[in-house]
Amino acid sequence: MAQIKVFGYTDKISVKPGDELTFHVHADGTDKAMAQLVRLIHGDEHPSGPGFIEEEIASPLNGEWKVRKQYTQVGSFLTVDDPGQRLGQNGDFTLCAFIYPTLHGNGMRQALLGRWDIYRNEGFALWINQKGFLEFGVGDGEEVDYLAAEAPLIRNMWYFVAASYDRKSGKATLYQECVATRYNSLLSKVVPYDYRSHVRETFRFTPKNPKDLPFLVAGARDWHEVRGPFVAQNFNGKIDRHGMFDRVLSREELDNIRDTGKPPRSGIIAYWDTTAGYTDYGIGDEVRDIGPHGLHSKGYNRPVRAQTGFNWNGRNDSFRLAPQEYGGVEFHNDAVIDCKWEPTKSWTVPELKSGAYAMRLRAGDGKGLGEEYVVFFVRARVPKARIAFLVPTASYLAYANEHLSFDAQMVQPISGQPPIVSEIDIELYQTKDFGLSTYDHHADDAGVCYSSYRRPILNMRPRSRLSSMGITWQFPADLSIIGWLEHLNYDYEVLTDEDLHVDGLAALKPYNLVINGSHPEYYSEEMLDATEDYIAEGGRLIYMGGNGYYWNIGFRPEEPWCMEVRKLDSGMRAWNARPGEHYLVTNGQRSGLWKNLGRPPQKLTGVGFISQGFESARPYRRMPDSYHRRASWMFEGIEGEIIGDFGLAHEGAAGIEIDRYDLSLGTPPHTLIVAASGGHSDNYMLVCEEILYAYPGMTGTHDYRIRADITYFTAPHDGAVVSTGSIAFGQSLPFNNFDNNVSRLLKNIVDAFAKKGKLPGWAWTAEEKQWR
Amino acid sequence: MTTTWKNPISAFDPEKPVEEVVTNDYLSPQSQWDATRSYNVPTPPVGRLRYYHKWAGHGDKLWHRLRYWPTRRRVLDISGGYNSKTLRRQKTIEDKRPIWWILSLLALAIAPFFIPENQQNALLTAGAVFGIYAAINLCWMLIIGTAGIYSLATYAVVGAAAYGSAYMSIHMGLPWWAMPLVGSVVGLVFGIIIAIPATRLEGFYYALLTLGLVELCRVYVIQSREFGSATGGLYGADSYIPQDWPQHAQLLLGYYAGLVLMILGLFLFRFVNGKRLGRVLRMAPEKREAFAEATGVNYRAARIQVFLISSLALGFIGGFYSAHFRGAAPSLFSFDTMLLSLAMLVIGGLGRAEGAVLGTLIVVFIDRVLVDWGPMRFVLIGTLMLLVVLFLRGGLFGIKEQFRAWRDKKKSENRSSRAEKGGEMLPEEATETENKDIIYFRRFDKMQRDFLKKLITPEIIEEHRKRPLGQHSEALERVLTYFRRQPQNDKYAITVIEPFKSYRLVALSGTRGVAPRLVEDKTYGSPDEAYHALFLRRVQDLLEA
Repeated sequence: MAQIKVFGYTDKISVKPGDELTFHVHADGTDKAMAQLVRLIHGDEHPSGPGFIEEEIASPLNGEWKVRKQYTQVGSFLTVDDPGQRLGQNGDFTLCAFIYPTLHGNGMRQALLGRWDIYRNEGFALWINQKGFLEFGVGDGEEVDYLAAEAPLIRNMWYFVAASYDRKSGKATLYQECVATRYNSLLSKVVPYDYRSHVRETFRFTPKNPKDLPFLVAGARDWHEVRGPFVAQNFNGKIDRHGMFDRVLSREELDNIRDTGKPPRSGIIAYWDTTAGYTDYGIGDEVRDIGPHGLHSKGYNRPVRAQTGFNWNGRNDSFRLAPQEYGGVEFHNDAVIDCKWEPTKSWTVPELKSGAYAMRLRAGDGKGLGEEYVVFFVRARVPKARIAFLVPTASYLAYANEHLSFDAQMVQPISGQPPIVSEIDIELYQTKDFGLSTYDHHADDAGVCYSSYRRPILNMRPRSRLSSMGITWQFPADLSIIGWLEHLNYDYEVLTDEDLHVDGLAALKPYNLVINGSHPEYYSEEMLDATEDYIAEGGRLIYMGGNGYYWNIGFRPEEPWCMEVRKLDSGMRAWNARPGEHYLVTNGQRSGLWKNLGRPPQKLTGVGFISQGFESARPYRRMPDSYHRRASWMFEGIEGEIIGDFGLAHEGAAGIEIDRYDLSLGTPPHTLIVAASGGHSDNYMLVCEEILYAYPGMTGTHDYRIRADITYFTAPHDGAVVSTGSIAFGQSLPFNNFDNNVSRLLKNIVDAFAKKGKLPGWAWTAEEKQWR
Repeated sequence: MTTTWKNPISAFDPEKPVEEVVTNDYLSPQSQWDATRSYNVPTPPVGRLRYYHKWAGHGDKLWHRLRYWPTRRRVLDISGGYNSKTLRRQKTIEDKRPIWWILSLLALAIAPFFIPENQQNALLTAGAVFGIYAAINLCWMLIIGTAGIYSLATYAVVGAAAYGSAYMSIHMGLPWWAMPLVGSVVGLVFGIIIAIPATRLEGFYYALLTLGLVELCRVYVIQSREFGSATGGLYGADSYIPQDWPQHAQLLLGYYAGLVLMILGLFLFRFVNGKRLGRVLRMAPEKREAFAEATGVNYRAARIQVFLISSLALGFIGGFYSAHFRGAAPSLFSFDTMLLSLAMLVIGGLGRAEGAVLGTLIVVFIDRVLVDWGPMRFVLIGTLMLLVVLFLRGGLFGIKEQFRAWRDKKKSENRSSRAEKGGEMLPEEATETENKDIIYFRRFDKMQRDFLKKLITPEIIEEHRKRPLGQHSEALERVLTYFRRQPQNDKYAITVIEPFKSYRLVALSGTRGVAPRLVEDKTYGSPDEAYHALFLRRVQDLLEA
């Protein structure tokens, strides 16, 4: 019997009472699972804390669910809606495309374009064969006849390829020419490669052309007994303009397309101008056909649009400046945006206390892979509380299903420890179905720029631990803050990044105090603007984390479940976008660090990322400014100067990723540093965006800048911001059952911030006379 | 050799005494580099001269590829690519056998015009015999090599067909062109009869049975009056060679007819061995039948099919034989005929068409042309056979493969005798390494490891045990940094059985989709214990490498 596994996701991450929520569940080895709605209170199972706490909620959904095995279409490709069968040519034809292959010749066939049925050997298509040669094939349902180019394709080079087929004589002709410019490909023209190949051969039979066979770009149709039709043999790399003609194009005509990217006037069945329809504010999934029939194609699993094309010449760095040079559509055989599983249950969310909820599903023995928490957040229908906890779901997406411990050589030197992997991590590594995080690479080493929650996110689970760092991370770490709010009986509600992005300022406005999570690293412009406006209009923010407000991300307005980021230039990053591919396709903005866009996090919170090290954490010590009456109220009831020499994250409140005050980066000039950590180990290295020249001593025991600052400043209209500058801060709260000086410090701040009106110590603003 | 190291972080805990740890004396990491100045082994120049021609690519010229009509096989299996040393485009003919076949067949076709006058008779007669025997051996090769049936009854089938068709020609006036057809029918019937025990008997027993069958046939025709016990054979059958032609023309016709028969045999071999049947049977070689059967290969049916096809063809050859020699003789069933034929197969190499043909050529040449040598020629054949069996694994045509295997063995022996374990790449290995960065990495890594081995002391192991994570002394930190930077495949990691209670050690695969493997059975009660156990394993690997 197969091992029993159960996984699921919801169609929305944030709901209000009254909203419709759909659960999509996949189970292996069983057809039933026990469901129980739970409210999540604490996740981290570290023995120094209170352990895992959930509250079972009565619900009609509780009980046995019928579940079944579901299949995920992995890999990105284009499909064409062709009801008139125009692409099912039974006469002569020519297929052509500009391609930039990145992962071929490894024994796998990769389909480029055509109508091809892998299971039945029917149709015609252009593909790259197992040995890495361009190949054109036709199938009659029994056999495949094919014609391969003379020389293998070289990886990461732009080619123009074509195949024409003369039905009467059976002659097939293959065309392969390199179109690399000085900028757009891996190799320069100094390399003595001769990339060209032109081959002709006579086929034995004509292709069978069944009506139901779809025309696909970057994939081919396959079939499985249980699953039915699906797409396989996905292409890895970029495809620029491509098309199909109803006649054999001459060599001169093909040469002309190669040089101009423009099709000849006559004989077009379809010519997809991948650059058509771009706007300055984003590009969708539709690839336009500029031929007579308008056979537009649509991306599945979000092929990455507007990448540098066959004719990119380096002068322009954005599709907004030169759309015609940005025709590249990038495909990956391991991309997953939406599992598109069939719904298992739909539910109208009842009146529930706002918070983090999950549908707990147990199948088999209900342990390990047999237990799943499908997490979602319920916000208040009408905000009533004074405190909001802002769940950084955009950052959860960034890390969703990361594989760093397994794939990234750099992760052990970064984290200073060997990884501790769980059964679930291993399951995640073994399957392609749950997709990748923006910390992973696709199979061809390109960085992953999209991440969505319409797939099971196995590390957005209450007890999950980040294998590479030996601690909780993101959602389970943020549960320690929720657990603290619960333990101290605060009246609070939750919001997510999605609400902040969609509703903007209106989402935050009802609250006196907004508490952010432990690592709100990914911010869209909308989210950043709303937060900035909220504070400027008198709102109060506790930024209880490290390395926040760091990357610029984008969402398509109609698809808020999928986040896009490009990692570039500087910043601690898992990958580097290729030259010229630095703009977000979802909204036309330049991605990368907010710091490099003129909005360092210091401008908003007082602190910004300075260092990370994951094998140890340190306490804070009060700074002299904390004795000023503007801030001394925060330390009421706290003995001594040392704060947080304990915690669930490597036994300190200051650590993991840490932030620092910096006037040169826009820390408000009246900001106080009330406490700061020190004595970080040498595994804490200076972040790369702070490094101009690298020199010895940019580590914890050498560089004074490597520290976490707790800063405090006031904003207009009694607004205020406290930043803790450390991810580990939140994970110190549960120590000793929430009875400790970090908890006390936070309580003092929350109590003060949650009250409307003047802040404590507001009047102590005169010049110090130092007569004491 | 120890000293103490003061933890710089202690300064942040002024109330406590400065933390001191016993650790190693400082040792310069550069010492290893200064000490290593050359290879420990001689490094003669490497490189191989390309003395043969490589065709260039077609570039932008259109390359018309030809096929064997009506198949999709290209006339020559040519692969294009790049020379890895120069990146020049080149073409390689992957399989040159078609060229050799055409040249050989051409040579055979024009050979009669280059034979000296006085040897015309002997050589043309031998040539015809060569053609017939080559055809027989090709069919036999299908049975032994392709089907893997150890049948010695080949000549029983040929003989039966020859006798049957000769008999019908003499007594019923069967014309010469019908004799191979009748022979085919006889061969098929005979084949069916012999095939029945083949389904039940294995190897040696079946060989014995068929041997008996041949002997039975021989004794039968010798004693049967019907089949010419008196005349020592059946003679007077019709022939395709007109008797009124001059003798030279008759011999020439016989020679070319034999050649055509051989070519037919080659086609048969190609279409059985190279197509579905042959592939099915290659899935089920000797001693692996059970596996093939388990995977759904019906090798028994395929074997019988090949056997029957070959029997039919052997019958055809038998008919041709009597039409060629105007009759049949009991020598067809004789033991020495069979042994000679077996020698032909073995000398050429089992399982290959070219082996069957070359083996036949050699043996027929010795047997029929070197008649002057007398019985010595059998000694020569025997010696040849013995040498082939003793020294060659696949007959004459296996020499190339055997040589390459031997060369590879020598190559790796040489390399392993020259290289140090885990050492730098030697020139002969480096030249075949595409990414030259790896060559340097190997050098760096060796230096690093040789240096780090000197740092492993009980002191730093104890220091690690006390604090696996966090700030460490310089010596321990160096060792740890090296360990952490290792590539992902087979890198140790920890797996959690029960959080904060039970952990085990695993090794990562480095390949997406492949789960880590467990490296030992022990469990550890805390992450710290597991970290230290993992460290000890890494230390052990370092010291052993």
